[in-house]
Amino acid sequence: MTSGWLSILDNVAAQGLYALAQTAEPEGWWTRLWFRHSGSTFARSSDQVYDFIFWVSAAFFVPMMVLMVYWGIKYRRRAGVPAQPSPSHNTPLEIAWSVVPTLLMLVMFIWGFQVYIHKFVPPVDAETVYVTAKKWDWEVTYPNGVTPRERTKLTNMDRPVYAFPAGKPIKLVLTSTDVIHSFYIPDFRIKRDCLPNRYTTLWFEAKAPTHTLDDDGKTVKAIDGTGYFLWCAEYCGDFHSQMGAKIAVLSQADYAKWLETQQDTSGIDLVSLGESLHKIQGCATCHSVDGSKGTGPSWKNIWGQTHKFDLGKSSDKAAASRVVDENYIRDSVLTPGLNVVEGYPNQMPAYPNLKPREMIAIITYIQYLSDAGRSEALNKAKTEKTFTDAAAKQGKKPEDLMKPR
Amino acid sequence: MSGHHDVSYLAPKDTLWKTIWSWVYTVDHKKIGVMYLSAILLAFFLGGVAAMAVRLELWAPTQTVLERANDGTVTPVTRGVFLDPGIKENGKEVPPNVWYNRAFTLHGAIMVFLFIIPSIPAALGNIFLPIMLGAKDVAFPRLNLFSWYVYVFGGLFAIYSILAGGVETGWTFYTPYSTTTEWGATTAMVLAAFILGFSSIFTGMNFIVTVHKLRAPGMGWFDMPLFVWAVYATAIIQVLATPVLGITLLMLVFERLFKIGIFDPALGGDAVLFQHFFWFYSHPAVYIMILPGFGIASELIAVHCRKRLFGYKAIAFSSIAIAAISFLVWGHHMFLSETAAANIVFSGLTFLVAIPTAIKVFNWLATFYKASISWNTPMLYAAFFIFCFTIGGLTGPPLATLATDIHLHDTYFVVAHFHYVMMGGTVLAFMGGLHHWWPKFTGRMYNEFWARVASVIVFIAFNITFFVQFFLGTQGMPRRYATYDEHFQLLHQISTAGALLLLVGFLIHAAVFAQSLVAGAKAPKNPWGGLSLEWETESPPVEHNFHREPVVTHGPYDYDTVVPAHVDPRDYPLPDPAEVRRVHGDHH
Repeated sequence: MTSGWLSILDNVAAQGLYALAQTAEPEGWWTRLWFRHSGSTFARSSDQVYDFIFWVSAAFFVPMMVLMVYWGIKYRRRAGVPAQPSPSHNTPLEIAWSVVPTLLMLVMFIWGFQVYIHKFVPPVDAETVYVTAKKWDWEVTYPNGVTPRERTKLTNMDRPVYAFPAGKPIKLVLTSTDVIHSFYIPDFRIKRDCLPNRYTTLWFEAKAPTHTLDDDGKTVKAIDGTGYFLWCAEYCGDFHSQMGAKIAVLSQADYAKWLETQQDTSGIDLVSLGESLHKIQGCATCHSVDGSKGTGPSWKNIWGQTHKFDLGKSSDKAAASRVVDENYIRDSVLTPGLNVVEGYPNQMPAYPNLKPREMIAIITYIQYLSDAGRSEALNKAKTEKTFTDAAAKQGKKPEDLMKPR
Repeated sequence: MSGHHDVSYLAPKDTLWKTIWSWVYTVDHKKIGVMYLSAILLAFFLGGVAAMAVRLELWAPTQTVLERANDGTVTPVTRGVFLDPGIKENGKEVPPNVWYNRAFTLHGAIMVFLFIIPSIPAALGNIFLPIMLGAKDVAFPRLNLFSWYVYVFGGLFAIYSILAGGVETGWTFYTPYSTTTEWGATTAMVLAAFILGFSSIFTGMNFIVTVHKLRAPGMGWFDMPLFVWAVYATAIIQVLATPVLGITLLMLVFERLFKIGIFDPALGGDAVLFQHFFWFYSHPAVYIMILPGFGIASELIAVHCRKRLFGYKAIAFSSIAIAAISFLVWGHHMFLSETAAANIVFSGLTFLVAIPTAIKVFNWLATFYKASISWNTPMLYAAFFIFCFTIGGLTGPPLATLATDIHLHDTYFVVAHFHYVMMGGTVLAFMGGLHHWWPKFTGRMYNEFWARVASVIVFIAFNITFFVQFFLGTQGMPRRYATYDEHFQLLHQISTAGALLLLVGFLIHAAVFAQSLVAGAKAPKNPWGGLSLEWETESPPVEHNFHREPVVTHGPYDYDTVVPAHVDPRDYPLPDPAEVRRVHGDHH
């Protein structure tokens, strides 16, 4: 993606106007009024272009409006006084007001594209993070293969938290699984469309930590009550405005620790893991857990029930019904078109990348959601070896690590 | 021709039935223009209702929470602020967010396709372009009537689409969202836009031929009023660009119905291709929307300043230059998805369009110098237009500049920018033009005091509503958001308060017009002292516009050369003793 001539342009730009931005003062009240925060190393460089355009605009707008009001009053209509003779053409004046704006716009254009090239070309040492956008969530996969499961409240919404290290360039490779989305972190001044049929890239380097690791060593805690937002900027339907996430900038040491804990799910019991996968994997978009109807069947009270199938839509033409059990759930996750429940569309994508323990967690969670299977599911979660081992390692009893239910 | 053409075009016929027939089957450009005007004002009202729904919903950041409680109990789900009818469609409750999405889509689609594109050309242009040229009618009167019925037909499709479940794709119909969405009646709305495009093409063709062939004897190209120049440039864009939209929308319909695989990657298509096709029309369409506004501004300023416009030729040629450059800038809508090389080219081309635009504003302003400015409602609107359009224009460069656009793209900054251009530019110019020509085409004066009050309210309210949106944008508030983070609430509330005040302003305008139609004083031939041809005929004009074919002996703004210093331009071109006895208005 980094073609040669772009790098050359970037190098030229670094010698030119962009160099100004590197030496500039940090933001003051003026920048905060317009932009709130500048969280990335290059945020100020585009803000300075904005400031330049703003002051050029003001230098035109204010005198023009003053003139309009002044002349409007001075030359207002008075009885019997016609307009005074004045030229309707003045070549030097007209050349001046054509050439001066042209030159100023040339500066905006050149300065603007230099900063843009710098924003466009990721440094070679950048760490690559993969972002998949889907209706209506972000799935961020870190270099160690982990998709974090930490959640937080954003206004009233339950949204994911994604952390990035301060002082280290991060390259994002973006794509989408359905429609066009746009990855937008205002405080970093970055935005790029996520397309369903090709990859796009972005990069940034966060300036200073906004968060530290909380006392539990796992979740993040805001340093000064702020933190940054990730939004979807390309309209994508029903919950476009809720397709957000919290962006936490951590020190590099905290970031490494956070990534490690996000990778290790052994300390999470099966029911809780299933519950978080239900959100992270996007199951929640179609399958409710309270019995309400969605695009797919609700998960509440289905364990042990018999599901009748629409044989017209199912690829398995032999089975007219099945009892909801471990194998049925496993088949539904891996080959969703096999048995399509009556009254629902054949719309679910397959999830072949779940790890074995994650599959068991989803099964256990569905079992937990039915009145008949709840106690058995909780018991299974409490006694599962991976979890009891992890608890023992921390010197705790399994029930202490489990969320009270 | 026999004498019956010497009566007002508004005069009723012998029977009510004949009167109605004389309208529905008319080929008179003025009647067609008045029918267009009524329809676009209705569309403006409907689009305004949708806008108010959008602004009211944004009064608070309230969310609909996706998550439900784990133990099966339903946690209190926060609902929409205003748009929350709880209606079910196909057994599934339509979330409040979707109602919001429908509201902003309808606002955009109605305002763009049914109101602003036809507003000035098809309504005021239809009524005045032939008269300003000294012609009896447009070149193809029947085609003109046909284009009106095509407009009505397209409008019916749009209304059907609203009643059949609405649309929530945004007026831009971006794929693959628009080809895959399960809500509403998207196909009907796309077809509505497709049909309305034909109406636009027919009107454009008609105007081009009319300008070329039907100018009165003695009228050269540079004797044409600048409104005619602007509508002419608009017509060129309409004819050249609208077919591209037609083909694009048809492909979209085919993609939706037959799953061909042009735009939907799931079918092997390309997601961004649609945007290229769409903006290849819709960016020039932005100039279809604003150029006629420029034309009106030129008329208002010249006539109410009673002065030759500064730089007539510069203004005329800049309209043509804008029309040409408008075809080269569509790529700036894809700055977030296209390659760096494409973006640099389109960024540079986009700046080009700013130059002729800036020249126009300087020319208008220079006309104020040593003028005789009457601050009546049309002139107030001309000044408000300059103020708002200049802000709209100057907020273009941050969006044309790549470095800043990356941050501002698809945020409220863009929303504010194009409302300053479309509403602060076109709509304010349209309001000015409506007041300017109202006495001419209705034959009635309006209440000047209340019209001025309303115009000042509209101006102030407009700026309250939209100026704060620049800050929302730079602070990172994305467009088309049904819900938002709490820290944006204050700015949203200021904007909503402004929108309510804007509603008050427009309601006063409506009352002023209604009062004028019912009880307004009879309008003289030339209430403002204009020198272009429409001010030489009766108010309202006779059926064939002029009693006899006019011969043009002077330019439309030749105040300095043809009006003797002691003559009031309102009495020009006289002498006609009956006219001299006329009581003048409030300026003497």
